Amino acid sequence: MAALSRQLAVLMLMLGSLLAQARDQRTATVGMRAYLEQVVLPGTELQPAPSTLKTPLVLRVLKTWPHGNALRYDFEWVGLAPGSFDLCKFLVRQDGSAVTDLPEVMVEATSTLAKDAFEPTEIEPEAPRRLNGYRAMQIAAGIAWGLGLLAILFVGRRFRKKVVTVVSKPTLADRLRPLVEAVVRGDAETAAKAELERLLLAFWRARLNLEAANAADAIVAIKQHAEAGALLRQLEAWLHMPTPPAPTDVSALLAPYRSVTAESFEPIAQAGVR
Amino acid sequence: MTSLKAIAAPRFTETRQFLDTIRTRVGKVVVGQDVVVERLLIALMTSGHLLLQGVPGLAKTLLVAAVSKTVDLAFARIQFTIDLLPSDIVGSEILDQKTHEFRTHKGPIFTNLLLADEINRAAPKVQSALLEAMQERRVTIGNQTYALPAPFLVIATQNPVEQAGTFELPEAQLDRFMLLHRLGYLTTEQEKEVLRRNAALGVRRDGKGAVARTEFDVLGEQATGSSDQLVRAMEDVQQVHVSEAFLEHTVEIVNRTRKHPKLNLGCSPRAGISLVKASRARALIHGRDYVLPEDLFALAEDVILHRIRLSYEAVADGYTSQQVLQEILSEVAR
Repeated sequence: MAALSRQLAVLMLMLGSLLAQARDQRTATVGMRAYLEQVVLPGTELQPAPSTLKTPLVLRVLKTWPHGNALRYDFEWVGLAPGSFDLCKFLVRQDGSAVTDLPEVMVEATSTLAKDAFEPTEIEPEAPRRLNGYRAMQIAAGIAWGLGLLAILFVGRRFRKKVVTVVSKPTLADRLRPLVEAVVRGDAETAAKAELERLLLAFWRARLNLEAANAADAIVAIKQHAEAGALLRQLEAWLHMPTPPAPTDVSALLAPYRSVTAESFEPIAQAGVR
Repeated sequence: MTSLKAIAAPRFTETRQFLDTIRTRVGKVVVGQDVVVERLLIALMTSGHLLLQGVPGLAKTLLVAAVSKTVDLAFARIQFTIDLLPSDIVGSEILDQKTHEFRTHKGPIFTNLLLADEINRAAPKVQSALLEAMQERRVTIGNQTYALPAPFLVIATQNPVEQAGTFELPEAQLDRFMLLHRLGYLTTEQEKEVLRRNAALGVRRDGKGAVARTEFDVLGEQATGSSDQLVRAMEDVQQVHVSEAFLEHTVEIVNRTRKHPKLNLGCSPRAGISLVKASRARALIHGRDYVLPEDLFALAEDVILHRIRLSYEAVADGYTSQQVLQEILSEVAR
């Protein structure tokens, strides 16, 4: 018996300490959760009243215990707008009876913002997403892809063609004449003499219509031509022989090439090749 | 019109006779391969190595054997296969059972004229061993280094058709070959002449039996030229005049291969050196003591083609190396 009374005393002490720890947060800032525990309210069981968009406070019943003829509640509340509110105004009876006999349970939601600093906007109802138009979207994407492809294929090429037309390359005749003049004057460097030889080869290659022929075959064919062959052999004697059999009169040799024009490079009849 | 005879250099008469003898002797057994004989002589006189590319049956081996027998040079042939080892070429040290000492066994590379048949069939390490010897003209067996005989010339062949199970020679190794000549088929008349000659070969008695004679039996064992004459020819090549204008042409062609948009890889400086060397030898063969642009154009394909590599775009557009080289040679003269 004595042990049972000791256990009861311990239980009472624990209950007492629990009661002593009950939270009683009657002030909180807007939007923050606060708790009111062990609140005894008379009458039948209460529940939060249905809220609307305009309700300034959200109330939740966390726990309910019988307390004699009354009931004891743990509440959680969140103020949505600054001001003092009676929590009982946000409760209704589960059995639907009136709540006129409840005492005031005042809480206060304070604002950390200055007054009128912020006004929440009205929530605009969102228009539902379009559920149709997929086909149109596919067609539009296809057209865009096609245009992109055409741009890749043709825009760059047109640009390159423009560049080609802008840059005008000197003709073979334009390059040949100054080299001939330099050689005749006697102030041509070795590189210029070598280029002259190559351009004269090109000249006769074009004239004898040998441009499509293999380079080695072309040179053999050029040497077989009476005029071109004589020119090349004299050039070779002048440029390549260590001891030419006779001095070469370069001025006389190159005289026909001092006034060559682009037309001079036109092919002549193949009958000239002997 | 001045003929080639008229401008022929009289001081090279002996060498020209020597070269004519080789050509006549080779011409007796090999039909219609004048250009390849010329390339072989160029390689021989410039100590450059030659790679012959062609399908089997174009008388590559016969040609090399004919030249070696004509000039009295030692000749060896190695058939390259996948299981060939470097020691099969350069030699190895073997333990002498009698003396219990290591003895050096020199490989077939110790010869004057080496025919490396189907070089691309051997593994890369074997190719490297040969190409190293080609470059340095000496080989190391064990701890001892041996100089290769002089002259030393490698004539390698590769078949462009059968590529299965082959190891393509990399660019650096291809560059060691001064010339890569592509052998073509004979003309109809030449082919008929081959058949006529073959039909007249007859049989060779061997003991109590007999075997059908081949073109190799026609090759006389008696050499008509000597290695001294070859040395003289090699010295004469060095006397061939190279003008400054010719060097300008050579550098222009080599540079253009390096800048051409259709090429990923252009010519190395070794290509320019080879062009000049080969042109000097060609000039001598044609009876001149000076080089001409025609030598350059005639040899460009054999010297340059294996040293250039097409770009991916050019390959995709269907270009070949020959086309691009002809483009370069045409542009040089434009």
